[in-house]
Amino acid sequence: MTWRPVGLTRDVPAGRVMRAWVDGQDAVVWRSTRGVLSAWDNRCPHRGMALSHGFVRGEDLACLYHGWHYGAEGGVCSLIPSHPDLTPPDTIKTRAFQSAESDGVIWVRLEGSPDLAPPAIAPGLDPLRSFEIRAREGDIAHGAAAKPFEPAILSLLFNPIAHDRTLVTVLIDAQATSDQRKLASRWCEDVRREVEA
Amino acid sequence: MSLAYARNDWYVIADRNSLEQGPRRTRLLGDEIHVSGSYAHPVIKDASGRMLPTQIKFDHVWTTVGDRPRPLFDIPEGNEPGRRLVPCGMVRVKCSPLRAVENFLDIAHFPFVHTDVLGAEPYTEVEPYKVEIREQNDEVWATKVKFFQPLAAKSAAGGITTDYEYRVPAPTTAVLYKTCPPKPEAQDVITIFVQPRSETECDVWPWMALYDDDTPYADLVQFQQMIFLQDRSILENQRPIKLPLDPRMEIPTRSDLTSVAYRRWLKKRGAFYGALAETL
Amino acid sequence: MSAAFTLYDYVLSGNCYKIRLFASLLAMPYQSVAIDFYPGYEHRSERMLSLNPAGTLPVMVTSAGGQVLTETNAMLAWMALHDGGAQTPWFPAVDPALGPQVQQGLAFGAGLTDSIGLARLHAMLDWPVDGEAAKRAGLKHLRALELHLTDRQIDGGLWWAGAHPTIADLACFPYVALSPDAGLEHDGFPAIRRWLYAVRSLPGFATMPGIHPLHELR
Repeated sequence: MTWRPVGLTRDVPAGRVMRAWVDGQDAVVWRSTRGVLSAWDNRCPHRGMALSHGFVRGEDLACLYHGWHYGAEGGVCSLIPSHPDLTPPDTIKTRAFQSAESDGVIWVRLEGSPDLAPPAIAPGLDPLRSFEIRAREGDIAHGAAAKPFEPAILSLLFNPIAHDRTLVTVLIDAQATSDQRKLASRWCEDVRREVEA
Repeated sequence: MSLAYARNDWYVIADRNSLEQGPRRTRLLGDEIHVSGSYAHPVIKDASGRMLPTQIKFDHVWTTVGDRPRPLFDIPEGNEPGRRLVPCGMVRVKCSPLRAVENFLDIAHFPFVHTDVLGAEPYTEVEPYKVEIREQNDEVWATKVKFFQPLAAKSAAGGITTDYEYRVPAPTTAVLYKTCPPKPEAQDVITIFVQPRSETECDVWPWMALYDDDTPYADLVQFQQMIFLQDRSILENQRPIKLPLDPRMEIPTRSDLTSVAYRRWLKKRGAFYGALAETL
Repeated sequence: MSAAFTLYDYVLSGNCYKIRLFASLLAMPYQSVAIDFYPGYEHRSERMLSLNPAGTLPVMVTSAGGQVLTETNAMLAWMALHDGGAQTPWFPAVDPALGPQVQQGLAFGAGLTDSIGLARLHAMLDWPVDGEAAKRAGLKHLRALELHLTDRQIDGGLWWAGAHPTIADLACFPYVALSPDAGLEHDGFPAIRRWLYAVRSLPGFATMPGIHPLHELR
């Protein structure tokens, strides 16, 4: 399976949770209080609730519905609040995917050789923003190429999240000024408007 | 899928308030339904123009699309003198009608979903309670359910341990009996009548029969709406959307006895509309 | 403490929630009167129309002077000034840089009501409006907000404008936080998520149905 860029490191600080799509799989990406990043099946094994609505307590992610806790180490259920004295059987666990970070980008893949790192990004780039376009990767790349951004170097990463939706992660020359970054952010909107039209 | 069972149940399709707004279209079991007339004389038609039977019960208009409908269950408390009957309108939810019922039967989510109202940490423990299928009318009952609540009802001041009983008289109806703060010897009755628009979308019509003569109607309805709309954001985020009946797909614990009994009961009677009956 | 105002209130209304939330943040006591917006349509009753002929909720009646306010932005302004006078950080009305920015956010918040608010009423209560059109307008608003908050992030800011939350944040927060009620998820909007979290972390934050508390902070 391929590593997919699902967002920016700065968008998932310690204690935060987000949803991501990886090769059609609904995933939850979250960071523990101590900073451990995890990517799991976005589904509580208890009643199917999306874990991306959950909350972080220390090194656990808890489901919003009944507060069942799952530990960053292995995704095993560590607490069932309706029976606080019960030690949950370790068969209750979430399905874990691989996650990695490089150059300020979070990458997830469903499976694959653990040694294989995510693709390297050209040096000297800062993450700018990630956003969704209701179009396919090819059409977006085409639209972006037709509308070159002059003020600074940009690099675009694509993650297909449905047949007609793509998450685009944009990186910009680390030397770019604030004004150039804001212009680049507007350029993203322009590309989206044209590609979706 | 199995519409066969579901077609012969009765479902809420309107209430007085909705009829006063004029004719409207809705859906029942996947098909379009036309609702018009008045509360005294409701006119319910299917897409082909066929008149469907109606009956008025529990302050709502009920209909069925089946050829041999089962009799509509009774809620005898609704006829007790001194009770205030409170229809609460309708809330639409993109979820299986069965998930909406199952959530209503669950208390373990109170501290997390109805925080500081029906429950609060650290009072999360669910004590053992009793679940049975009552043979005489083939209903699911959960009794001796207790839970500590910081603000259990509009008429409650401060935290109390609330006693609950739950009753499932039909796959898309759940009835709750709970401690009534101003009248400890009696129980408030709170129900949801679920209109299955499809297997993955429903209109939920809450209805209450309370011993509370003091609280303004608007406050009673809004308390109920507050609780149900807190649940709605959960219900729209469960996957799969349909309720799995295979116990291997969703892992229960002891506090889920009611849910386990409800799922088994659905399976036994073949009430698969809104359920995921096959195994994965 | 005596009530600063009376609020004619509906529990599921995002606009009413703006006032409840701000009162909670300011610890400002008020008297709430529940109005049966749905299913009773009480906001269209003779009693309510004589108070507010426009038939909208909320309605605020101030305890001192008996002013009747029917626009949520005006209520937010009244509360900020009542609480902190002209120096209130919540409403820097005459600050040459921030004042216009806050006005921009207040007007944007009204646009959220007309788009996401309507889409939500349709999705939740089957309100007889064009739900799809309202949802499309809502998506445009979320994208515009994401762009604005990304700009703010580039400048090192967190709030709609300036270094302190203002009534512009409160005018925008409810319908953005409630947009999943209308099927508009927050997944593709990282800057919005960061800002929502910041508002939910404010001391004295109050919830409403559809907006859960931050359980991680307990």
